[in-house]
Amino acid sequence: MMDAISLIPYAEAVPVPPLILIFLEQLFFLIHIILVNSILGVGLILLYKWKRTVDFFDINRPLARRIPIFFALAINMAIPALLFLQVVFGHLFYSSSVLMGTFWILIIPILIIAYYSSYFHYKKFGVSQYAKYSLILMISLVLYVAFILVNNLSMMEMPEKWSLYFSERGGTILLWSVSSIYPRFLHFIVASLAVGGIVYAFYFSKKSNSEKNAMDGIRIFAYATMVQMAVGVWFLVSLPESIMLKFMGRDSVATLVLVAGIGTAVLSVILAFKNNLKGTLIFLLITLIAMVINRYNLRIFSLEDKFSPTSLEISPQWDVFVLFVVILLIGVGVLFYMVKISFKGKEEAK
Amino acid sequence: MNYPVWELYYLNSGTVVAIIAILHVFISHFAVGGGIFLWLTDLKSVRENNLPLREYVRRHLWFFLLVTMVFGGVSGVGIWFSIALSNPAATSLLIHTFVFAWAIEWVFFIVEIVSLLIYHYRFEVLSNKQRLTIAFIYALSAWLSLFVINGILTFMLTPGEWLNTRNFWDGFFNPTHLPGLFFRTSICIMFAGLFGFVTALYQKDEKLKVTLLRYCAKWLYIPLPFLFLSAVWYFSSLPESARFTNFVLNKQTQNPLNVFLFSSVLIYIVAILFVLKTNKIIQKVALIPLLLIGLFWIGSFEYLREYARKPYIIYGYMYSPSIIVTDAEKLNKEGFLKHAKWTKIKEISEENKIQAGRELFNLQCLSCHTIGGVKNDIIKKTEGLTYLGIVSQIYGQGKVLDYMPKFVGTEREIEALASFIVSLRGKKEEPHAEFTPKEEPVFIPSFDPKKDEYVLLVWSVLGEKCITDSDRWFSFLYAGSTLQALLIKRGVKPEIITEGVEIHYIPPRGHENPSKYLDFWKYSESLRGKKIPGNVGVSGKTVRGVFDFDKDRKIFIADAVPVSPYSDDGAFNPYPIFDAKAIEKSTGKVLQQTRFVVPVSTELRCFVCHGGKPRFNGISGISDETAINILKIHDRNHGTKLYENALKGKPMMCQKCHEDFIVKSEGIKGHNSFSASMHGWHANYVPYKDERACNFCHPNDAKGNTRCNRDIHTKLGIGCTRCHGKLDDHAASVLLAQKDSRTASILLKNLKPETPIEKINPRKPWVNQPDCLSCHIGFTKPSADANGFNKWTSDFGTLYRVRMDNTGKIPCTACHSSPHAVYPAFNDFGKNRDNIQPMQYQGNPFPIGADMKCEVCHKVKIQGTGHHADILKMFRNRKALQQ
Repeated sequence: MMDAISLIPYAEAVPVPPLILIFLEQLFFLIHIILVNSILGVGLILLYKWKRTVDFFDINRPLARRIPIFFALAINMAIPALLFLQVVFGHLFYSSSVLMGTFWILIIPILIIAYYSSYFHYKKFGVSQYAKYSLILMISLVLYVAFILVNNLSMMEMPEKWSLYFSERGGTILLWSVSSIYPRFLHFIVASLAVGGIVYAFYFSKKSNSEKNAMDGIRIFAYATMVQMAVGVWFLVSLPESIMLKFMGRDSVATLVLVAGIGTAVLSVILAFKNNLKGTLIFLLITLIAMVINRYNLRIFSLEDKFSPTSLEISPQWDVFVLFVVILLIGVGVLFYMVKISFKGKEEAK
Repeated sequence: MNYPVWELYYLNSGTVVAIIAILHVFISHFAVGGGIFLWLTDLKSVRENNLPLREYVRRHLWFFLLVTMVFGGVSGVGIWFSIALSNPAATSLLIHTFVFAWAIEWVFFIVEIVSLLIYHYRFEVLSNKQRLTIAFIYALSAWLSLFVINGILTFMLTPGEWLNTRNFWDGFFNPTHLPGLFFRTSICIMFAGLFGFVTALYQKDEKLKVTLLRYCAKWLYIPLPFLFLSAVWYFSSLPESARFTNFVLNKQTQNPLNVFLFSSVLIYIVAILFVLKTNKIIQKVALIPLLLIGLFWIGSFEYLREYARKPYIIYGYMYSPSIIVTDAEKLNKEGFLKHAKWTKIKEISEENKIQAGRELFNLQCLSCHTIGGVKNDIIKKTEGLTYLGIVSQIYGQGKVLDYMPKFVGTEREIEALASFIVSLRGKKEEPHAEFTPKEEPVFIPSFDPKKDEYVLLVWSVLGEKCITDSDRWFSFLYAGSTLQALLIKRGVKPEIITEGVEIHYIPPRGHENPSKYLDFWKYSESLRGKKIPGNVGVSGKTVRGVFDFDKDRKIFIADAVPVSPYSDDGAFNPYPIFDAKAIEKSTGKVLQQTRFVVPVSTELRCFVCHGGKPRFNGISGISDETAINILKIHDRNHGTKLYENALKGKPMMCQKCHEDFIVKSEGIKGHNSFSASMHGWHANYVPYKDERACNFCHPNDAKGNTRCNRDIHTKLGIGCTRCHGKLDDHAASVLLAQKDSRTASILLKNLKPETPIEKINPRKPWVNQPDCLSCHIGFTKPSADANGFNKWTSDFGTLYRVRMDNTGKIPCTACHSSPHAVYPAFNDFGKNRDNIQPMQYQGNPFPIGADMKCEVCHKVKIQGTGHHADILKMFRNRKALQQ
C-alpha cells in the first residue's frame, strides 16, 4: 500500500485567503443544490402524480416548463461552486476526478441528454406519451450525475482510498465499498423530494383553486424530511467513528451546527403540518445552510491529518478580486433589472 | 507527475479534450455571434416594422437556445472537466492564476443565460424596447465572456511577460490577446450567418426566405477581410520559434493547415448556393455539408492553435506532459520517477523495467500518444524501430524536432520506457547473429631482390569503401572503388615508369559479377541520371581492366571499379584480393605482378535502430525493411515522398539534395551537406558518443563483419574518436561549416561536444580531415596524449590519400597503404591480407622501405631522407606485432 499522504499532489498558492473562497464555494453550492433538488424533486412528483387526475397536464404544465429553466440555472450555479472548490481543494479534486475519470466525463453527454429530455418533456407534456419516458430518462440521468458527484466529492476527501488507482487506472473507481456513500446519496434523493415538495407547494400556493396541490406538496416535504432524518442518522453512523463522534460532541461547533440543523428541520416539519408555508420555507433554508456547513465540516474532518486550507500559501490578487466583486454586483444588478422588466412586461401585457 | 493519469490507451484523454472542445467552439462562437445577430435582426424588424422578420427571429431564437444554451453551455463545462482529467497540473495553474477571471466570465455567463431565457420565454410579452434591451444584454454579455476566455486561452499560447512577473494582468493581456479576440469575433459573426441559414432555409414564405438567405450570407461574407487580417496578425504575434517549430519543422501541421485553408475556401463557395436562386432541395442537401465544413474549419483552426503551442501546454513554462520547464534539469539528473507522485515504481530494476516504462509512458507520453488507439499510436509511430532505435528516438526527441517535448529523466528511465514500448509488440527482438570472419591463408607473390627489376605498388584509395546496397529504395554510396598504382624501376636512382606499360587489375573468382548482388545498375537512371550498363563503374571502368595514367598526378588510376563484398560462394568477403600485373606494351612481358586488397563493405548497420535484418544472407547490407523504415521516417520528418517515388521505381541518391564532395554532388542550396545531415541528425538521437556510435554506421564494430580499422593505430588502442572526435564533436565540426543552411543551427543547438563549440574548427567533409602530421609532428613519434581532432588538413591536396612525399612523385599511400589499413595492418580475414606488398618486396609487414629497406627500390642503402623526415630508422611498434 502506498502512503496516502505521499500521493496528495502539491497545492498551489491561492489568490485570496481560503476562507473567502470557501465561503463563495459554499454559497454557490447552496444555490446549486436547491436548484438540482428542485429539478429532481419536481420531476419525481410529476412522475408520481402522472395522469392520476383528469386535468393533470393542464395543472402541471407550468412546472414542466420550469424544469429546463432550473436546469439552466443549476448547471450555471455549479460552475462557481466547482471553481472555488478547485482553488482550495483542486489538488485533491483533480486526483479524485481522474480516479473515476471515465464516469466523470460521462456526466457531460449525460447532462446534455438529461437537459434535452427536460425540454422534450416540456414540449411534449400532454401531447405525447414519450413525455413520460423522457421524464424518467431525465430523472435517471440526474441520479447518475448525482451519484458520481457524491463519489467524487467523497473520494476527494479520502486520499487513503487513492491507492486503488494502482490496480485500476482506467478511471472507473467508485467507492462501492465505502458504507457512507449509500446514505449520502440517499440523503440527496430524499432532500430532492423534500425541496421538490416545497417548490410544488410554493407554486400552487400562488395559484387560485390549487390548495390541494399545495397541500400535497407540503405533505411530501414533511414526510420526506422525516425520512431524511432517519437517513441522516444512517449517514452519521456510517461515518468512521472518529468523525462521527466529532459531530456528536467531540467538536462543539460541528455538533452545534448539526443539532441546530436537525432542530430547524423538525421545526420546518411541524410548520409544514400546520400548512405554514412561509415558516416552513424559512426553517428549511436555515436547515439547508446548516447542512451545507455540516457537509463542509465532514470534509475538513476527513482530511484532518492530510490537508488543511489554512496551510495554503497566499499569492494575493486583491485587485482582480475587487474587480470580480464589482462585476458580480453589476451582474446581479443587471439580473434584477432584467427580471424586473420581464415581470413588468407581463403586467403591461395583462 | 503531480497527478494520477487517466490511463486510456485507445482514446487518450487529449483526444477526449479535442472532441469536446471542437464541438464546443463550433457552438460557442455561434452563441456569441448569434447573439449579435439576434439583437441586430430584431432591431431591424422593429425599425422596419417587419413582423415576418420578427417571426423569423422568434423561431431562430428557439433553435439558438436549444443549440447554444444546452449543448454549448454543457460542452463548455465539458472542456473544463476534460482538461482537468487530461492535464490536471495545467488546469490547476489556469484555475489558480485566473480564478477571478473565470469567476467574472461566469458572471457574464449567468447574465447570458438569464437574458436568453427571458428573451425566449418573454418574447411576446415584452415591449419592443424591453426585448431589444434584453437582446442587447445577451449579445454584450456573450461577447464579454468570449473576451475573458480568449485572454486565458491566448495566455497558454503566449504568456508573454507573465513568465517573468507572474502578474495576472501580464498573463491576461498577452501578445496574442487582441489578435485572438479580433479573429474570434470575426468567426462569431461569420458563424451567425452560417447558422442563420439553418432557420432561414426552413422559412415557408419564399420571398422572405430569399431575403433572409441573402441577409445571412452578408453575415458570412462581411467578416471575411477582418478574418483574414486578424489571422495574419494572430500568426505574426506568435513567437518566431513557435512558428518555425510548429509550422516548418512539424510536418503534421500540414494536414490541419490544408483542412483549414481548403475549408475556408469551401465555406464561401458552398455558401453561394444559398445566395443564388438555386434549387430548394440542393440548398437543403447542401446545408449539412456546409455546417460540417464549418465544423472542420474551426476544428482545424483550433488544432493549429494547439499545435502552435507545442511542446508546451503553457508556452515556455510547462511542457505538454505537465512538467515545469525549470524542473527538467533536476529530474534529468535525479530521476523522473523518483520525484513523480503517482507511480508505483521509484527505482528501476531489471525486474520492474517494463512496469517502470509503463509509468513513464503514462506520465510523459499518454497525453498525446495512444497505444493501438485513434491518435499518434505509439506502436505505429515506432514501427520498424528496434529497442535501440526507440532508445535513440526517446533520447533525441524534442531536440531537433522540438514540437515534441524532450524526454525528462535519466538514461535508465529512457531504457525502461523503450522496453515498455517494445513489450507492446508482443514479440521479442531476436539478437543479431555474431559474425565470425573466415581466416584464410594469404598467398604472397614472390619477389627476387636480385633479379626483379620492377616494384609494382597497388592500393585502394580508401581503406574501406562502403556501399549502400538498398538501391531499390535509396543510395548514397554505389559500388566503385578507386585503385591506384605505381610502377618503379629499381636502381640506385629508381625510375617511376609512366609510359610503355599497361597495368592490369584482375578480380578474384566469385567477385566478377557485382550486378548479381547489387541493384545499382537497375536503377542507375534514377540514381545517377543515366543508364549505366551492368558491372560498369560510373567512370566507365569494368570489374577487370587496365589502369589509366593520370597525367597530373603521374600515377596510374582506375576510377570507380565496381567491386562488391558479396562472393558467388555465398560468403561475405569485404577484403577481396585482386591481382595486378604490369605488362610491357611492346613485348607483352610481365614486368612485375602483385596482389592487393580492395576493401569494400556493405556493413552499414542501419538495422540496429531501423529494424530489419541484413540483406545479404543475414550478414550484411541494408534490407528492404530497413530501407523502407528509413525512407518513411525521412518522409515524415521532412515532407518528402521518397518512399512513394521508390515504389514507383524511382529511388533517389541522397546526395541529389545533400551536397557531397565524394560523389561530386552539389545538392540543393540551403540543404545541409550529406555528412552534416547524417552526423548532425544522428548525433542528436544516438545515445552514445564514443566509438559505439561510430560503429553503428561505419563498418568497424569489433564483432561486425568488416572490422575496417585494422591498422597499427587500432592495435595500439587508438580508436576513431582520437582523430575524428566523439560524435557530437565530429558532427559539430561539419555543421559549423554549413553556410546558407537554416537547419544546421537546429542540429547543433543540443549537441554537447567535449571541445567547446566556439573552439571547434569548421571543416568540409572529405576535404578537411584529420592530418597525420598533426600527431606525427615532423614524421616523428607522437606524444602519448596526441589527438588528431580539430587539426584538419587545409585542402584536398594535403589529405593523406592524396599527398605525395617530398619528391612529389610517390603518394604516401603507395608505401603506407590505404587509410585505416596502413602497414602493418591486422586483418581478421587473414594474416597479412593487407600487407601483401611489403611482405612480397621486403619480407616484413612494415611500410615499404621501413627498417631502412631502401634497397626495395634503390637496390642499395641510402643515407638521405628524400622521401620524408625521420625515415631512416627501424619500425617503432614491433611489440604490437606479437599481440
